Amino acid sequence: MSQRSERRGIHVDQSELLCKKGCGYYGNAAWQGLCSKCWREEYQRARQKQIQEDWELAEKLQREEDAAYASSHGSQSQPSLTAFSKFEEKKTNEKTRKVTTVKKFFSPSSRSTTKKEKERDEEREKERERERGEKVQGRRESHGETLLRDLKGIFTHSWEIGSPTEESHEAKSHSPSFVHQSSVETDQVSREFVDFLKSLKPGREIHKQSRAFVESMGNKKDLGADELSECVQDFYQNMSDRLLTHFKGSSEKVERVMDQVEKYIMTRLYKSVFCPETTDDEKKDLTTQHRIRALHWVTIQMLCVPVDEEIPEAADSVVKAITDIIEMDSKRVPRDKLACITSCSKHIFNAIKVTKKEPASADDFLPTLIYIVLKANPPRLQSNIQYITRFCNPSRLMSGEDGYYFTNLCCAVAFIEKLDAHSLNLSVEDFERHMCGGGGGDVSPRRRSESLSPWPLELLSALQERQQQVLEEARDLQAELQRWQEGVAREVQDILDKYPLEIKRHAAHAIDSENDENDRLPPPLQPQVFAG
Amino acid sequence: MAAGGSTAHRTYSFKVVLLGEGCVGKTSLVLRYCENKFNDKHITTLQASFLTKKLNITGKRVNLAIWDTAGQERFHALGPIYYRDSNGAILVYDITDEDSFQKVKNWVKELRKMLGNEICLCIVGNKIDLEKERHVSVEEAEAYAESVGAKHYHTSAKLNKGIEELFLDLCKRMMETAQVEERSKGNGTSHASTGRRGVQIIDDEPQAAAAAGGCCSSG
Repeated sequence: MSQRSERRGIHVDQSELLCKKGCGYYGNAAWQGLCSKCWREEYQRARQKQIQEDWELAEKLQREEDAAYASSHGSQSQPSLTAFSKFEEKKTNEKTRKVTTVKKFFSPSSRSTTKKEKERDEEREKERERERGEKVQGRRESHGETLLRDLKGIFTHSWEIGSPTEESHEAKSHSPSFVHQSSVETDQVSREFVDFLKSLKPGREIHKQSRAFVESMGNKKDLGADELSECVQDFYQNMSDRLLTHFKGSSEKVERVMDQVEKYIMTRLYKSVFCPETTDDEKKDLTTQHRIRALHWVTIQMLCVPVDEEIPEAADSVVKAITDIIEMDSKRVPRDKLACITSCSKHIFNAIKVTKKEPASADDFLPTLIYIVLKANPPRLQSNIQYITRFCNPSRLMSGEDGYYFTNLCCAVAFIEKLDAHSLNLSVEDFERHMCGGGGGDVSPRRRSESLSPWPLELLSALQERQQQVLEEARDLQAELQRWQEGVAREVQDILDKYPLEIKRHAAHAIDSENDENDRLPPPLQPQVFAG
Repeated sequence: MAAGGSTAHRTYSFKVVLLGEGCVGKTSLVLRYCENKFNDKHITTLQASFLTKKLNITGKRVNLAIWDTAGQERFHALGPIYYRDSNGAILVYDITDEDSFQKVKNWVKELRKMLGNEICLCIVGNKIDLEKERHVSVEEAEAYAESVGAKHYHTSAKLNKGIEELFLDLCKRMMETAQVEERSKGNGTSHASTGRRGVQIIDDEPQAAAAAGGCCSSG
C-alpha cells in the first residue's frame, strides 16, 4: 500500500514539467514554472510596471520639494537676495535633470542605447547621487537600495534576480570615492533642516552652503582628523560671521541657526568623521574600557562620593545618570551628545542634593561623576570626547553650561587614566593587590561585594543556596532517568525471555491478505471457455 | 573667549574659574554672589558648580560664567583642563589657614605659566569674619599679590562683605583686557581668532612667564 502511494508522489506528468505558457520548452520551479525565455518576458513586464509606478512617485516627491522651496522663496522676495536667482536657476536645472535621470535610470531602453550615451547617463547619475549625498557603492543592488529608500520601499527585490550582469559590471567601474552615511535618520534631519530654514530669510543660502560643504567634505576623506576638524570649525566660523554681518541676525538667532547647521552637517558626516581610521581613537577607547573594567573594585567610600545609595531617590538618580552617559554614544550630533552629558550631570546633582540637602559644589560633583563613569563604563568614551571636541560648535563647548559639564567629563576621564593609590587614599600595596584581582587587606569581603553589585550579601547567599538546591535536584533527576531506562530495558528483556521469538512459516501468504476490504471485492474472474 | 566686539550692543562673555583648596568657601562665595544666600535651606539652585550672572557695566552687557573647580588635592593635576580659555581666575584662600594660602601660590605659578598675562587674577582672602583666628597676614598677602600682578581682596561670604566689589572689579579688568586685545589684533580678525581659540589651544605650550605686570597690574 505504502509503495503505491510513494509511486504516486514521484510520478510527474510530462505536461507538468513543461513551461506554463505552453511554448513547448521545459519550465523551472525557480521561475514559477516558466521556461527561461517566458520568465524573462514575464519579469520584464512586471519590472516595467514597477518602473512606471516608481517614476510617478519620484515625480510627485520632486513636485512636493519644489513646492516647499517655492513657498519659502515666495515669502522672501527681497532685492538683497538677487544673488539667489542664479542659484535658483541652477537648482531648477538640477531638478529637471534629476527627474530625467531617474527616468533614464529605470528605463530598460538605456541598455539598448550606445555606450557613449550610457556613460553620459551614468555621469549624470553619479552627479545626482553625489549631490544628494547618498550612499553609492557602485553596484546595481546599491542603486536599488538607494531608490528603495527614496521611494519608501516600494521596490521589490525580486527584479534583481534577472538583472543583466554586464550592466552591474559597468556600473562598478565608476564607483564614487566617497561613501556616504545615509539612512532614514539622515533624511529626517535633512527634511527638518529644510523646514527650519523655510522661516528664515537667508534660508536658501544657508542650505546651499551647508550642502556644498558636506559635498566638499566628501573629497577630503583622506585628511587627518585634525584637518577635518579644522574644516568644520572654519565652516562654522564663516557661517556665523556671515549670518552676523550680512544678514544682521541677532546673536541668539544666529546661535539657533548654527545649531541646526551643526545638526545637518554632522548627521551627514558622522560616519566618516567619528572615530576615523587615521586616529588611534579606537585604541584609546579600548584602553579606557579595560582600565575602567580593572577598576571595578573602587567603592563610593574610596572616592569620597557624597551620595548615599541607600536613599531610593539618590539610587534612582544614579541609575538615570548612568543611563544618560551610556546613551551619549547613540547620538550623532555633537550637541546631542553634550545634552546627554548635561542630563547625566543634572541627575548627579539631584543625587547629591538628596543626600547632602545642599547644592552641590564642584568638590562634590567631580568625584560623583568619576564614580558614575566607572560604574557605567560608557562605550567608545574617548572617541566621543574627541568627536565632540573636534566638531562641536566652539561657542557652546567653551563657555556654556554644557561646556562646563563636558570639561568635567574630560577631567573624570583624565583622573581615571592616571588614578593611583594616592588618589584613592590607599597604600600602594593595597592598590596593587586590588589591581591584580586579589581582595583582602583592610577591605572586608562585605565591602567588596557592595562595590560589585548593589545587592545585599544576604540575598546573594540565599541565591547561592537556591542554586545549590537546583543543582542537587538536577542530579537526582538524572539518576532517576538512569534508573527508569534500566527498568525499561529489564522489562523488555523479561518479556522477550517469556515469549521467545519464533518464526512461524506462513503458507502462501498473499500481499493483500490483511486487507479486510478484500471481502468486498468481486470474486476473481475465472477463465471461461467459450465455444467457437 | 572674550567674544566682545567693539560695538556697544555686543555682549561680553567671560569665563571665570574658581580655584582654591576645599573648605575655603569657594561655593559659599559664589552662592552669596549669585543668589545672595549663605548656608540657606532655601537655596533654589540644584548646584553651585556652574553659575552665570548677567551684568551691565557702563552700558555694556556682560555675561559671566563662573566655573567652580574641585579643590581636593588629588584633583590638582586636572586644573589645566578647567582653566583653559578662561578670562579670569579667582583664587580663594582661608585667612585662618596658612596651607590654603600656599596652595594659592602654587595656582598662581601654574596659571601664569600656562596662560601668561591674558588672564586676570584675583587673590581672595575669605572668612574675614574670623579675623581673630587670622593666620595669613594682610601685608604678606597683598605684597604677594602685587608681586605676581594680581589683585587682592578681603571677603566674607557669611557677612556678605567685599564680594560684590570683587566681581565688579574683575569684570572691569577683563573688559579692559578684551579691549586691549581687540585693538592690537584689529577688529575683523580678533573675533575669528578668539572664537577659534577654544578648540585650537593645547595646554602643553607654555607661554614664557613674562615679567609680572601688564594689564592686570593696575592695582
